[in-house]
Amino acid sequence: MTVALIGFALVLILVLLRIPIVFSMGLVGTFGYAYERGGSMLDERGLKAALSMVGRQVSDTAQDYGLSVVPLFILMGLFVNKGGMARELYAVSNAFLGHFRGGIAMATVAACGGFSAICGSSLATAATMSKVAMPEMRRYGYSDELSTASIAAGGTLGILIPPSVILVIYGLLTETSIGKLFVAGILPGMLGIMFYLFAVRWTVWRNPASGPAGERAGWPERFRSLGSVWAVLLLFFLVIGGLYGAFDFEPLNLTFSPTEAAGMGAMGAFLIALGRGGLSLRSTFEVLRETSFTAASLFAVLIGAQIFSNFVNLAGLPEALINLVTAWDVTPFVVILMILAVYIVLGCVFESLSMLLLTVPIFFPLVMSLGYDPVWFGIVVVVVTEISLITPPVGLNVFILKGVVGDVSTATIFKGVTPFWIADLFRLALIVLVPWVVLVLPEQMGAMGH
Amino acid sequence: MQSVISAIRWLSPLPVLLACLALFILMTMTFFDVILRSIFNSPIEAATELTRILMAIVVFSVLPQISAQAGHIAVDLMDSFFFRWRLHNIRDGLGYILCGVLMYWPAMRIWILAERWRDYGDVTEYLAIPQFYIGWFIAFSVAISGIVMIGTGLLILFAPRLLERS
Repeated sequence: MTVALIGFALVLILVLLRIPIVFSMGLVGTFGYAYERGGSMLDERGLKAALSMVGRQVSDTAQDYGLSVVPLFILMGLFVNKGGMARELYAVSNAFLGHFRGGIAMATVAACGGFSAICGSSLATAATMSKVAMPEMRRYGYSDELSTASIAAGGTLGILIPPSVILVIYGLLTETSIGKLFVAGILPGMLGIMFYLFAVRWTVWRNPASGPAGERAGWPERFRSLGSVWAVLLLFFLVIGGLYGAFDFEPLNLTFSPTEAAGMGAMGAFLIALGRGGLSLRSTFEVLRETSFTAASLFAVLIGAQIFSNFVNLAGLPEALINLVTAWDVTPFVVILMILAVYIVLGCVFESLSMLLLTVPIFFPLVMSLGYDPVWFGIVVVVVTEISLITPPVGLNVFILKGVVGDVSTATIFKGVTPFWIADLFRLALIVLVPWVVLVLPEQMGAMGH
Repeated sequence: MQSVISAIRWLSPLPVLLACLALFILMTMTFFDVILRSIFNSPIEAATELTRILMAIVVFSVLPQISAQAGHIAVDLMDSFFFRWRLHNIRDGLGYILCGVLMYWPAMRIWILAERWRDYGDVTEYLAIPQFYIGWFIAFSVAISGIVMIGTGLLILFAPRLLERS
């Protein structure tokens, strides 16, 4: 246990020295593994075992069939975006919400939610929406705090509203139905949009100058804007429905595995973009290129995290934890609260995917032994991960925003994000206290015989 | 030196092109697999193993470029501190060299794995593609990544001008 904790500390130090996460975790994981195996970090047998674990991990992860959903869902999001969908979604939400005080920030949040329905990554949602929404909010004189924060926070919805890369990985790790996880993410995602809208209202109530009202759109204009987003809805229902088995009837008999759903989604998005004339050979290449880069860097982190998690497991952290909790003799709810506290603390420093990979293998057995629902825990974990994306000092979404916008300091963004962060805590409390919010939809679907 | 760097820049789109092609094939194949299975009841049987191979191609084709261009996910929290003390070049240079050197071991291990696959004659289930080709490819990619990282690190430390795009 002590060794594992020292390992955690070392990873933190390396990460802060800007050593890429994959190398920080990989290095500590390898030597930690060697130590656990051989009794010393430089023991020859231990090192050999550690290195062959590393070698297998590298070659297996990239060839994992289940993980192929990751590039395919990223591809779907990017193709839809090439079709100009982000802009259209933004136009729709702007037409409906823009005339309120802070309305353009509210429209940003709503459009982020819509974009999440096609994109499984929070970082991609934030990156895409910042290109679309940021110029608009600047044009209306929105404060940097509010405009960047609404995108950073709204972007976090990407991993909750299906499809979601993080939920896929949780599903793979814990053998939980990915279809159920996706459906379970819908209501909490809508709640997230609502709570963020309140956060925007609160910000402009505190400082009216930070978010002036935009122009009011007439009803004809509003309906016209709606006409252009039907394709997103259709694709969303195709992917989620197919995954869940909604088309599993004669003569179609169509049920998608997650990879197939992602492949259909990507192809559908490609065809939509092609049909709209938004794709040249060059932009197709750009999309494929960006997807490969994103997927490869995600896989790299995944490999690093798995190496590290092999070490942590070998060091016996999960069992130690269960024993500890059993010895304390506290109620299951208190245990959940403690786990959440750990997540929020870890979320301060860890990238979302690595946090998930590090913690789920440790906490999942514990939570299951307490009798909680695996789908519910998955959603809870994702919501906590969302919070971590905007938690200083390592809120990745904030850094994405900084990367795209450039001339705003991270401190400014973090300042603006605070009300959104608090809104997230309220949402988390609701989901933890009322599991019904998460479970009602997947249970309904279950009753339909799937 | 300048010419080596421009040669590398000139060559770098090739593996990316390979990754793009693999990804596009992956998407199209998955799509047609579903269509063929549901409508004509004849799925592409090799789809699973092809998916695995295509994934490895996508990831490891672009790995060297990600490694050389600071594409790995990292944390830039302490950046302002390093910039203030003008230590960022030293930190980046040493970081690159460290990571590059670290790549040696996984590359070697995967090479050994691949050789073992070759000895055992491991092939994929439907198409009988020899496994060791994939192993070689991964080992090669990891090794190249290590080399370009060491190179980038050395350039950052000793000749940062050469890295600027002319």
